[in-house]
This record gives sequence, structure tokens and C-alpha cells, in this order.
Amino acid sequence: MNVIFAAVFLGAALIFLFTDAEGFLPALLAGAERAAGVCLALLASYCVWLGFFKVLERCALADKLSRALLPAAGRLFRSRDARALSLACQNIAANMLGLPGAPTPLGVAATQKFLAARNGYAAEMLLVLNATSLQLLPTTVIALRAAAGSASPADILLPTLLASLLSTLLGAALLFLTHKIGRRRT
Amino acid sequence: MRYAALVIPALFLVLFVYALIRRVKIYDSFTEGVKEAVPLVLSVFPYLVSVLILSELFERSGLAARLTQALSPVFSFLGIPPEIGKLVLLKPFSGSGSTALLADLLAAYGADSYIGRCAALACGSSETVFFLSAVYFAGSKKSVAKPVAVALLSNFISLIFGCFLCRIL
Repeated sequence: MNVIFAAVFLGAALIFLFTDAEGFLPALLAGAERAAGVCLALLASYCVWLGFFKVLERCALADKLSRALLPAAGRLFRSRDARALSLACQNIAANMLGLPGAPTPLGVAATQKFLAARNGYAAEMLLVLNATSLQLLPTTVIALRAAAGSASPADILLPTLLASLLSTLLGAALLFLTHKIGRRRT
Repeated sequence: MRYAALVIPALFLVLFVYALIRRVKIYDSFTEGVKEAVPLVLSVFPYLVSVLILSELFERSGLAARLTQALSPVFSFLGIPPEIGKLVLLKPFSGSGSTALLADLLAAYGADSYIGRCAALACGSSETVFFLSAVYFAGSKKSVAKPVAVALLSNFISLIFGCFLCRIL
């Protein structure tokens, strides 16, 4: 991330210097302002979902539902921490259902638990699964296509689903392979 | 599509009825959960600022446009319409930015055109990789280079596959 930040920042700053020096600071401020706005929106959806998940936790319903998935999840993440695995399963479920804003608090909590247990592999796996899109229904995209006057906005569903499936499987497999190769070397 | 909207109210309804049966104090638990929202947003905030400043610089400086132009032969060779190149480059940084760009592309080329379909697919089948990695690994000293590289590569390969699907499906 440090390399990418430095490369993009320096590249952009150089272009600004020669083409539009006055535009540089407004661009920085616009980014920070957008972050503030996004944070407010995130705060609202985190409030709703964290409240929801606390009720779920108090009912002991989430752990009961994810118990059936624990063996499979344990193998995928190479972890025996039932609480962290349950959070990871809920994160995956929330991603699949496309609940806006819901996967992030669960993902952050699971990642912190994995990292605290020095299970970097599990944290990386969860990030890859999230970053390759697990969403079954791309609701935002379909709504945008409908708004743009598409004849059948949902006909993008099948290709999108297949592409997300491929990227997720590919990502998980690549991470698993690099992990295995890395361990064999040491 | 209409059924998808039922998922969220149904989830809340089922959970809260179950909580009533189990005699869980819904108000107390819900409020306690909300308490955790502010610390979470505060821990995420600095990373969000850095990533979004970078995304803004990337777009406004014209770096994204230049990169798109430089990469357009590669994109067309791989079967990805070069018109959506900027969207592909911007998506890992920012969800809101790429959504706005998708709306522009759909308006310019038509929602049912090949370019419009590929753009929708590029947006729907990938995620904001840099944003997620910054938020999930916030405060950790562990390097995220490997999972980020893996995710970017997988998303890109599946985009090539997806654009191919858009042509035949």
C-alpha cells in the first residue's frame, strides 16, 4: 500500500505541477471531504447493523446457525477459534445477501480476532474473499441500469455472477497456493 | 428483483420475534451494539481519508485517463472495451466514485450496449480492494501486499472472462 500510495501520489503531483498547479490542493481537500461524507454514511449503516448483530449475538442465534458451517470454515481459514469463524461466516453471508454496510463491521471484527491469534493466513483469506466480491445480487448495478433505460436491467445477473464466482475461487486458490509454497521454502 | 427488497425487513422481523421468544432485551442489546459504531468509524476514518485522497488525485490529475489510454491496446487485446478502462482502474479505490462513473458510461453508451454491459459487469463483479484492505487491516503492521495482489489479479482475470461472457450471453 505504501508503494502504491507513493507512486500514485507522486505521479499525480507531477502532472498537477505542470498542467494545473492550482488544482492540486482542491483535489486533496475534495478527497478528504468525500471521506468525511462517506464516514457519516458508514456511521449510519454501522449503527443499524451493529445493533442488529448485537441482538443476534444475545439470542445466540448466529453461533447456532454457523455451527453447521464451522468444520468447513475451519478448514478454509485454518482456524479453530469458533467465535472468529462465526464472525467470518456471518461476514460472508452478509456479503452474499448484499446487505449494504453490514459485512464491514463483521469483517473487521473477524480480522482483528484472526490477527490477535497470529493467524495471518485467515485474515488474508477473509480479505481476498471480500475483495473479490461475494455478492449474489448486484442490486446497485441493476438499479443503475434500470435508471439508464435498460430493456431488461437484470440480464447482467448471470455473467456478473459467473465472473464473481470465478474471481473468488481464483483468489482463494491463489492465496492457498502461495501460502503453501511460502511455507515449503521456510 | 422485487423479492430482493424483502430480504432486509424479513431478517429484522425474524430476528426480533425470535429475540422476544428467547426473552432477550431487544432495546438494551440494540443500543449496546450501536455503541460500537463510533469507535469503529474512528478507527477506519484515517485510512478512508488517505485512500479517497489518492482516488481523487488519481482521477483529477488525469493520471487515470493517461493510464487508460496507455493501457487501451492491452485492454482491447484481452477483449475488454477500452472505454471502461478508467472504471476498471478506479474501482479498487472507491465504490462511490466508480458508481458515479458507471452511471456516466451507461448514459453515454446506453445500458444495453456491449460497453454498457461490460461496465456494469466490471462494477458488479469486483470490489473496492484498496479500501477494504485499508479498513480490515487498520492498525495492523502486517503487510497486505499479497492478499491485495491476489485479489486484484483474480478480479482482472474474471473481468476478461466476464467481458467474453457479455459477448456470448
